[in-house]
Amino acid sequence: MAPWLASGLIYSSGLALTAGSITMIYITTRTFNFAVASMATFGFYISYTGVELYGGAPYQYYPFVFLFGSFLGIICYFGLNRHLLRRKAAEITLMMSTLGYDLLLLSFIQMYADFLTHTYRLFPRRVTMNVYDFELFGIRAAAIILPLIAIAILIILHIFLTRTKFGVAMRATIENPVLSGASGINSDSVYLVAWVIGGGMAALGGSFMAMAMTGTPVMGMYTIPLMFAGAILGGLGSLYGGMLGGFLIGITEYAGVFTLSQQFGPWVQGYRMAIPLILMAATLILFPRGLAGIPLGKLVGKLTATKRGENT
Amino acid sequence: MTTENGLKSNLKEFITRKEVPVIVIILALLTYLLTSRGVPIILTIFIDFAVFAIITMSLNLETGYAGVPQFGRVAAVIAGAFAVGAIPGRILARFMDLPYGLDYASDTINFRVVPEINALLASSWLLSIGFLLFSLVIAAIAGAAIGWLISRPAIRLKEAYLGISLLAFGDFLMWVGHNWSGMVGGSVPIYVPDPFRIFAVDRFTVIVLVIFVAAFMVFIYMNRLARSPFGRSMRMIRDNDVSAAAAGIDVVKVRTQSLVIGSAVAAIAGGLYVIYTGTCTAFGFQKLTWTFWPWAFMMLGGIGSTFGVLLGVFLLSILRSMIVIFRYQWFGFLLEIGIDPLWLEFTLLGVVIIGVILFMPHGLVPEKIEPMLPRRNVRRVLERKNLAGEK
Amino acid sequence: MLRINNLYAGYDKLQILFDLNIEAPGKGITVIVGPNGAGKTTLLCSIMGIAKVFSGEILYEDLPIKGELTHNLARKGISYVPQMGNVFAELSVMDNLKMAGYLMPGEEAKIKAESMTDIFPVLKKFINRKAGTLSGGERRMLAIAMGLMKNPKLMLLDELSTDLAPIIAEKVMMEVSRLRDELGITILMVEQMAKRALEIGDTAYLMVSGEVRFTGKADDLLHETELCSMYLGIKPEEQDIASIEESSLEGSE
Repeated sequence: MAPWLASGLIYSSGLALTAGSITMIYITTRTFNFAVASMATFGFYISYTGVELYGGAPYQYYPFVFLFGSFLGIICYFGLNRHLLRRKAAEITLMMSTLGYDLLLLSFIQMYADFLTHTYRLFPRRVTMNVYDFELFGIRAAAIILPLIAIAILIILHIFLTRTKFGVAMRATIENPVLSGASGINSDSVYLVAWVIGGGMAALGGSFMAMAMTGTPVMGMYTIPLMFAGAILGGLGSLYGGMLGGFLIGITEYAGVFTLSQQFGPWVQGYRMAIPLILMAATLILFPRGLAGIPLGKLVGKLTATKRGENT
Repeated sequence: MTTENGLKSNLKEFITRKEVPVIVIILALLTYLLTSRGVPIILTIFIDFAVFAIITMSLNLETGYAGVPQFGRVAAVIAGAFAVGAIPGRILARFMDLPYGLDYASDTINFRVVPEINALLASSWLLSIGFLLFSLVIAAIAGAAIGWLISRPAIRLKEAYLGISLLAFGDFLMWVGHNWSGMVGGSVPIYVPDPFRIFAVDRFTVIVLVIFVAAFMVFIYMNRLARSPFGRSMRMIRDNDVSAAAAGIDVVKVRTQSLVIGSAVAAIAGGLYVIYTGTCTAFGFQKLTWTFWPWAFMMLGGIGSTFGVLLGVFLLSILRSMIVIFRYQWFGFLLEIGIDPLWLEFTLLGVVIIGVILFMPHGLVPEKIEPMLPRRNVRRVLERKNLAGEK
Repeated sequence: MLRINNLYAGYDKLQILFDLNIEAPGKGITVIVGPNGAGKTTLLCSIMGIAKVFSGEILYEDLPIKGELTHNLARKGISYVPQMGNVFAELSVMDNLKMAGYLMPGEEAKIKAESMTDIFPVLKKFINRKAGTLSGGERRMLAIAMGLMKNPKLMLLDELSTDLAPIIAEKVMMEVSRLRDELGITILMVEQMAKRALEIGDTAYLMVSGEVRFTGKADDLLHETELCSMYLGIKPEEQDIASIEESSLEGSE
C-alpha cells in the first residue's frame, strides 16, 4: 500500500468519526458542536499519555479515549446544552455555547501539555504518534486497524439505532420530539446518549487523526473546518452520511495532494486545505442538502425494509 | 404639542445616551495622551481596545444587523493586513529602484529594503500621510474584495452552513499567507513600512491617536448606518428574511453589501494593526484572536447594539490585556506546577462566552428598537401635518 | 378527571389563551369546538407541557400537572394524538406502535401492537412499511392506534377528522365513541367536524379567540342556533335535520 494511501486511510477514518460525531449531536440537539475540536485533541492526548507513561500500543487506550470523550460530552450536556435546549435557544446560540466550551477545553489542553512537560519531562507539543505503531502484513498497523474500528463503530451504531428499543426511540425523537415526548420517551436521556456517543466518537477520531498527522494542542482547532466540511458534505441528516462525508473529505485531501504534488511539485502541500473545501463548496452548490440529497439512503432503506419484510 | 415635546426630549436622550459618553471618553484620552508621554503598557491596552473596537463593530454590522453568522472575521482582517504588508511598500520600492517583485518579501532582502523606505518616509510629511491614507484605502479595497468573494458561493446558504463556510475560508486565507512566501514572507515575518517614523519618540502616542480617531469614525458611521434605510433592511432580513423579501428587499444583495462593508471596515483595522506592529506574519492572524475574541466582545456588549459592543470591547479587552500583562504577578502559583498562565486568556474567553449565553443572553446593552424614521423626520412630518390642519 | 382553572397560556411572549375554565369529566367525551385560531390546539399543547403556561391551574385526577415534562405526563396515562406530525414517518408501522408503547415491557408492547392491528386491520397489511408511505387516512388510523397503545386513562385528540374522506371520518368518530363506551376512556377532543363531534360528545365547550363562549351539554350547544351558525358553520336547516334524526332515533329506542 502506498504511504499516502495508508496515512490517508488513517486520517479519513478519524475525520469520519469526528464528522459522524458532529452529525450525531446536530440531528438530535440542533447543536453544531464546535467542542469536537478540543474533544478530538483531548482524545489524542489521552492515548499519548497512555503510551508514554504505561507503554504498549496506542490502540489499547482507545476505550479510555472513548470514555473520556463521553465524559466531556456529558459535562457539556448537563452544564450547557440542556439549559439552552429547555430555553429553546436559537441554533446560533447553541453553536456559540459549544465554542465557549471548546475554548475552555483548549485552555485546559494547553495547561495539561505544560503539566506533562513539567512533571514527566515529555514533549507533548509536537508529537508523532507513528513511532508507537507497529507493522502488520508489511504495512502500518493503523492503516488496517483504524478503518476497521471506524467500520465497526458504524455497524454497532446501525444495530443500536435499528434493533434496540432505545435506539429506535432516539430515531423517533430526532424525527418528532413532540410526539416522542407524548409517547413517554424522555428526550433528555436521548440527548444525553447523543452527547455520550458523540463525545466518544470525537475523542476517538482525534486520536485516530494523530496517527497520521503531528499531534499538537491546536490540532483540533486547525482541523475543525474539515470536520465540519465532512458533516456538511454528509448532509447533516443522517449519521451514515456524516461518517461517509468525513471519510470522503479526508481521502480526497490525501489523494488530491498526492496527485497534484506529483504534477506541480511539493509546494502544493501547503494548500492542502483547499481540496476538501472545494469539494464541500461544489457539493453545496450541486446538492444543497449534501450527500443526503443523493437518494442513497432511500435505496438502502428500501433494501432493509424488503429484507425485514421477508423475515416476518 | 405634547408629542412634539416628547420627541424633543427623546432626541436629547438619544444623543446623550449614545454618543456623548463616547466623545467624553475620547476627549479625556486625548488630553491624557497629549499631556503625558504615556506608559507603554497603557498605550498597548488602548491600541488593543481601539483595533478590536473597529473589528467588533464591523462584526456587529454583519452579525448583529444583517444576521450573517460571521465566523470568519479573521479573513477580512488578514486581507487588510496582507494588503498593507504587501502592496504599498512594493510601490515605494518600485520608485526607489529597490527589489519589488516576489523577492521583496524574501527574508534576505526585506529587512534591508524596508529601512530604506522608512528613511524616505521619515523625510517627508506629505509622503508619510499619503502613504498612510493609501495603505488604508488599499486595505479597505482588499477587505471589500474578500468580503465579496466569500459572499459569492456562501451567501445563499442556511445560517449554520454559512457560518462554517466563513470559518473555513478564514482559516484557508491564513494558510495561503503562511505558505506563499512571495506575498508577505510566509512563515517569516515581513517588515511593514512605517509612516509614523516621522514622529520619532512620539510615534507610539500618535498611532494610538490615529487608531482612536479611526475607531470613533467607524462608531459614528455604524450608528448612522443602523438608522439608514440600509440598516433597517438588514434588520428586517435578520428578523425574517422571507417577509423582508416579500416587502421587496433583495435579500442576497443586502447581505452581500453588509459583508462587503463589514469586511472593508475590519480590513482597515487589520491594516492599522500591522502598521502599528511594524511587521506582518500570517500566523499572527489566528481565528482565536481575530474571530472568537470579537465574538466574545460583541456577545458581552449586546449583539445588535453598537454602543453595547463598544462597552463590551472596552471592559473585556482591558481585562484580557491585564491578564496577559500581569499573568506572572497574579497567577505565578501556576508556574510552580509548570503551567504558563498565558493559557488563562483562553479560559477567560471560554468563561465569558458561556457566562454571557447562560446568564445574560442579551448582553450588557440589549439592542434598542430603532424607529422606522429618524425622529427628526417624524417631527417634520408631524409639523407639516399640523400646519395643514391649521390651514 | 381533568380540570383547568383560569388558564393563561401561549408561546414565548405571545399569549393565546385567556382565563380558560374547562372540565373533562371521567369516562365521557368532552368536545371543544370553535373557529380557526381559537386556540384549541394550544389548549391541548399547554396541557401536555408543550406550550407555555403563564398562569392558572391544570389538575389531572385532582393533582396539579402544570409544568410537568411531556414524557412524565405520558407516564401518568395521558395520551396525546396531535393533529400534525402524529406518526414517525421514518419508522415502520410496527416500530411506530412499539414506540407508542415505549413505557411497557417489550413483550407486552408486542402483544398490544398485535391487538391494535386487529382493531385496525388496515395496519396489518402495511406493518413493515414506513409510516411516511401511508395515505392520510391510514396515517390517522395509525395515530389513533398509537394513542391507544399507551393504555390511556385520558386521551387528547386533536382534529381527528382532518384530511379524512367523509366516510372514514365517520368511522373514526364511531371508533372514538366506542373507546368511551367499551374501554371507559376519558376523551378530550378538539374537532373541526363540529356537528358530528357534538353528536357523540357529552360535554361541549365553544372557544373563540382564546376564550370560552359556551359551556354545557353537547346537545345544548347544537341547539344554540346563533352560536352554531356564527362560529361553527352549522346551518339551521341542518340542525333541524339533526334534531329530527335525533328525535327519530330517540323514538326508535
